[in-house]
Amino acid sequence: MAGGARSLVAPGAVGPDRNRRHPGAEEGCVTRPAPAPIKVRELSRRQLALAMNAPSVLLMLVVLVFPLFYALYLSFSRVRIGELRRGFPFPFYGFENYVRLFQDELFLHSLQNTFVFALIVVVVEVVLGLAIALLINQQGLWLSRVTRVLILLPYAIPPIANGLIWIYIYNFKLGFLNRSLFQLGFIEQYIDWTGIPETALYSLTVPYIWRTLPFAILLFHAALQGLPKDVYEAARVDGAGAWRCFWHITLPLMRPIIAVVVILRTSFAFLVFDEVLALTQGGPGDATWVASWFSYKKSFAPPFNIGLGAASAYVLALVIGLLAVFYVKVLYRRAQ
Amino acid sequence: MFRSDRPRLTLSRRELLKSTTALAALGLAPGLARGAMDGPWAAVPGSKVDAVNFTGWQYGEIYAKIAQQFQNDWGVEFKQNLSGFNEYFQKFTTAFAGGAQIDCAMGFAAEIRTWAEQGIVEPLDDLPGLDQYVADFTPAQKQISQFEGSVWALPYFSTIWVWNYYEDMLEKAGFDHAFTSYDELIEQCVKAKKDGVCQYPILWVAGVGPEQLPGTWYSMTWNRGGTFFDAQGNHQLGPGSVARETLRWWAETFTKLDIADPESLKVQFTGSAKAFMAGHNLYRGPNHHYGLNLVNDPGQSPIAGKVKMHPMPGDGRTMANGGVYFMTTAHADKEWAWKTLQYLGGRTKDGEYTQAYRLASDAMLGSGYQSVMDSPKLSETWSKWGDVPAILSAWQKATFMGDVISSVFQKWHTPWNDIINIELQKTLTGQKTADEACDTMIEGIATAKRSI
Repeated sequence: MAGGARSLVAPGAVGPDRNRRHPGAEEGCVTRPAPAPIKVRELSRRQLALAMNAPSVLLMLVVLVFPLFYALYLSFSRVRIGELRRGFPFPFYGFENYVRLFQDELFLHSLQNTFVFALIVVVVEVVLGLAIALLINQQGLWLSRVTRVLILLPYAIPPIANGLIWIYIYNFKLGFLNRSLFQLGFIEQYIDWTGIPETALYSLTVPYIWRTLPFAILLFHAALQGLPKDVYEAARVDGAGAWRCFWHITLPLMRPIIAVVVILRTSFAFLVFDEVLALTQGGPGDATWVASWFSYKKSFAPPFNIGLGAASAYVLALVIGLLAVFYVKVLYRRAQ
Repeated sequence: MFRSDRPRLTLSRRELLKSTTALAALGLAPGLARGAMDGPWAAVPGSKVDAVNFTGWQYGEIYAKIAQQFQNDWGVEFKQNLSGFNEYFQKFTTAFAGGAQIDCAMGFAAEIRTWAEQGIVEPLDDLPGLDQYVADFTPAQKQISQFEGSVWALPYFSTIWVWNYYEDMLEKAGFDHAFTSYDELIEQCVKAKKDGVCQYPILWVAGVGPEQLPGTWYSMTWNRGGTFFDAQGNHQLGPGSVARETLRWWAETFTKLDIADPESLKVQFTGSAKAFMAGHNLYRGPNHHYGLNLVNDPGQSPIAGKVKMHPMPGDGRTMANGGVYFMTTAHADKEWAWKTLQYLGGRTKDGEYTQAYRLASDAMLGSGYQSVMDSPKLSETWSKWGDVPAILSAWQKATFMGDVISSVFQKWHTPWNDIINIELQKTLTGQKTADEACDTMIEGIATAKRSI
């Protein structure tokens, strides 16, 4: 804190000890001259902003940017487990991993499955999430308070545990789902939901939606609570019913948050993995091979083609990135 | 123990001397208890370490027990990094790539060569006591552990593919014996279904995996007199091949005859044993022999004691495979890593094959050591789960998987195995015919070779 040194102490602030006078100083004792005030240099707004943001920028560089570029580097290299342990540099492989990737029918099929999966998940989560948020937003219903808590439970379940739970629900002979549907007369015979190619991928969406739907509900519910009450009151005075209020007030006001949910849910749905691992392992056949499962299998099963796995993960990241840009341009900005 | 079509290794004079030394150390001559205690497995390593590390997949308390014994014997902590079987390979490879210290790990015959080629596995040549171990290897274990002029691994377990049947249901269905041919199998199952004895008489092991779903196909193809590659490495999957006809027949049990349990497509070895416990199936398709320890365990199976081992039909020829423990190149100290490896896949300080016998008694696993397989101790521990002479008789007719499908020794086998898994399930679920699937598998060989 010597003169000229930078200080984060606010200007004008003086330490309490410096203000305190010696006892007896007023009785004519010789007083020492007051020490020279410490010069405190005030940080400019720009410097302060930089100082405050530096730790988070550094953190982002380490946990986000470095892995991003490292994965890119890996995708252009010929790397397997042994080389990965030995470390840099890895043999340069050019675009070979990407060429192999797009020649691989299984990858293209996995990508297609991922799109189908994400489309179903996003549509269902937006529609169902909004509907449930509207329901639990009813202040007059005491049950909605209980529901608000219960609805969050699936979100607290680890993804892999969720997959294991649904193994038992989907079990062909003993599963709760088949028994219930059969007893209720919805099906005439038990269905092997995850074992039939026609239903396997759709069956995977259910546990996934069950687990992640609370996230959408939370966002919608928070947004609903921020909507202005007077607009609704005015509409009711003008004779608008519940449906017209929803269609002409709620939905337009909710568009920005719907756009956010669509962007986030699409990004996460493209990364589905745990349910595939727990429930189907990609089967039957290749019916539930999705892009992240492909990356995982290529990277972590012999012959451990980390470079190819990184390339496939990068393609997936690019697809998600492009979709996010599209959503922001088309949905979010228009909504705002 | 295993029949092998490959040329047998002959013993040179030097090897004979080594083997004789090994036998002496094994305790088969007078004064040998002391010999066992003084063997290379009892030697104190010259270096010091705080802990040794083992990465593997969990099975009960087996590793906790051997870790405790290691700690008691040597005063060095034995760290176990265990996971479920399906997560093990990813966990191990990630830890290895991430620079973790791993003294020893485990795997299957098909992986060990790829891992060795990538510098993950440390060769064991010239380590004290290795010659004695090799001398006691079964022929199949030699094929698994020895390649490129080196010894790379010690035995974890060995197993053979056999059938199981539910005795009470067989009786209820009116049969006085289990099937002796594939035609009879179909006849019995169709009748059992028609009579309402059970809805799905056969539970296959047809869940995706390295040797689960494919192993069922390999073992039945082999049993029917077929193979997958000839001696020159040419595939044997073309039209009219035994493999193709076997697949066609197998698929019909799902599609045309509807006698195969749909759960088959999701279960691996242990899962199928647990599903079979429910008592809803007559037969459990060819699978590792050790499932009997689950289905016949009164503590967890409602049909305990009612499940019998049944050999493969016809001449009874079947397939065998095994797992290994190996030393990784990520070890901290080679002497201690070798000590660790011996506790897992060899002898403990007292000269006993402690872990091999424990795997036999706790998990009904076979061993890659001939002396363990021949021991009364193994027979005694297995007898609570099944007819040991019948099991060992089936063992005599087993051929190592590497002779049934020689691609397991190739680096491209694993990517090809992905294609096999997909095509088999597509056929079993009626998405493809056996012809289409086999054609895709043939094309897949080239794809797999390109992918490595």
